[in-house]
Amino acid sequence: MGFGFDEIHGPISGPPETDSNSFTALLELPPPQAVELLIKEDFPAKPMPPPIFPSNIALIDRASKFSIYASPDNSPDSTAILPASSSMKLDLVKQEPLESDSHPNSSSPAVSNQSSKSGKRKEREKKVKESNKKSKKVAANEASELSGEKLPYVHVRARRGQATDSHSLAERARREKINARMKLLQELVPGCNKISGTAMVLDEIINHVQALQRQVEFLSMRLAAVNPRIDFNLDAVFAAESGSSIDNSYLGMFDPSIWPEGQINGSRQQLYQQPLHFDGLHQPSWGREDDTSNFISPEDSLLSYDSPPNSASLQSSKLKMEL
Amino acid sequence: MKARMQNSSSSALLKQEFLKKWINGLQTYTNTKKEMTILDRKNAIKLSADIAIASTRNFSTNWSRAVMADVSKNVDGSSKIVTEKILGRKETCIIKCSKNIMRKSRLLAHRKRAIRRTIGRTSVKAASAIAKELVKKRTRVLKRLVPGGKQMNEICLIKETLDYIASLQVQVDVMRNIANAADQCLDSTERSLL
Repeated sequence: MGFGFDEIHGPISGPPETDSNSFTALLELPPPQAVELLIKEDFPAKPMPPPIFPSNIALIDRASKFSIYASPDNSPDSTAILPASSSMKLDLVKQEPLESDSHPNSSSPAVSNQSSKSGKRKEREKKVKESNKKSKKVAANEASELSGEKLPYVHVRARRGQATDSHSLAERARREKINARMKLLQELVPGCNKISGTAMVLDEIINHVQALQRQVEFLSMRLAAVNPRIDFNLDAVFAAESGSSIDNSYLGMFDPSIWPEGQINGSRQQLYQQPLHFDGLHQPSWGREDDTSNFISPEDSLLSYDSPPNSASLQSSKLKMEL
Repeated sequence: MKARMQNSSSSALLKQEFLKKWINGLQTYTNTKKEMTILDRKNAIKLSADIAIASTRNFSTNWSRAVMADVSKNVDGSSKIVTEKILGRKETCIIKCSKNIMRKSRLLAHRKRAIRRTIGRTSVKAASAIAKELVKKRTRVLKRLVPGGKQMNEICLIKETLDYIASLQVQVDVMRNIANAADQCLDSTERSLL
């Protein structure tokens, strides 16, 4: 794990024999400990000695006062080193993204040195903001407060830009969140299960959303084209409890007031049908407002055809919809 | 299997709620005596459906709040009436407040985005960078699609998309069922006439 860190060792003067070790130890130790604190995972105890971070002793002393997040099995040194490592000293600042990486990515930390400062601050701010992060965030928070009062460094809290450093723990946690949600989305959108890769899945999701929105448009146009006056019997719809029969019960909302007795009912199984008013096309052959009084008679005639459960809703109120 | 049954029953409840609210909203148009063109009718149907489906979320989601904010932005007399009908008086005031909140957050987001852009972009042409660009493009498109998506960060966006897709599905299902039922009735009555 220490492959990329050699170039960073320049500005740091520390115990030479633990140079690479300290970073890796720092890398491996805090996140697992942090993970333990929150998620309570069983993590193999690191056999390494508490890392001696090449920083000032004074910083360590100061940081040790802030080690509220120390877990019982955590040695105070390691947790004290954590805020010390994230102190405001410029050269040390660059180390933090590295130390938080438990799964090193391919991008070399040297590249991200420039932006790691801003990225780190953004990460710290991000860590500050997101509340369900690990306690390392608390450490970072503490460190920033610590630095704010002790060091002449001006701590900027505003977000400075995208973190291009992918080594950060916060970035990883955030990505895990996103991936978990993407999985849910994949299950929701049909046909996404086999696709791998975020971009393609997002493509499918976008297509699905667009298709649904277009369908809403078409359906509303289609409904607008339907003849204007429709009487609904909503209660017949709502009487249907289970999901399967709700589709049938939609038909229960409409009914021609004149229909051949057994024919139509046989085709739709358990429907209660209400008289339907038509304007426009069928104006000559249908009565309109006069038919409202005739509701009851068709209802009674329908009772004999319909199954008893729906008949209870026959007498309930009807809604008129005119457009 | 059990989960699917539960899902279907909960979606059935959702469909009922949506249908009720939608028809409620449509009723506001029954009193207008003027002739509506087919386009007007379509807009009315769509508007009521949108408000209804957004209100089934009880404004716990961002997209529903964004939908209501957009609706109340078009200070159209009929839309206000429909909103009041579906939601009830006191909620319309809440919508007005949320409209201001959304406006402020939009300004904030603009400022943040401007700051972000001035920082500069890396020009690393690694494959991962290309993939990231693709993903970014897609998320930008998605942000445009989902109502209120412009102000959300990625995590929020995906969560909202989930909810929005589910609600859209409910809306489409209900509307399609009603349209099919209406068409079937029309066909059957036409057949009976002949």
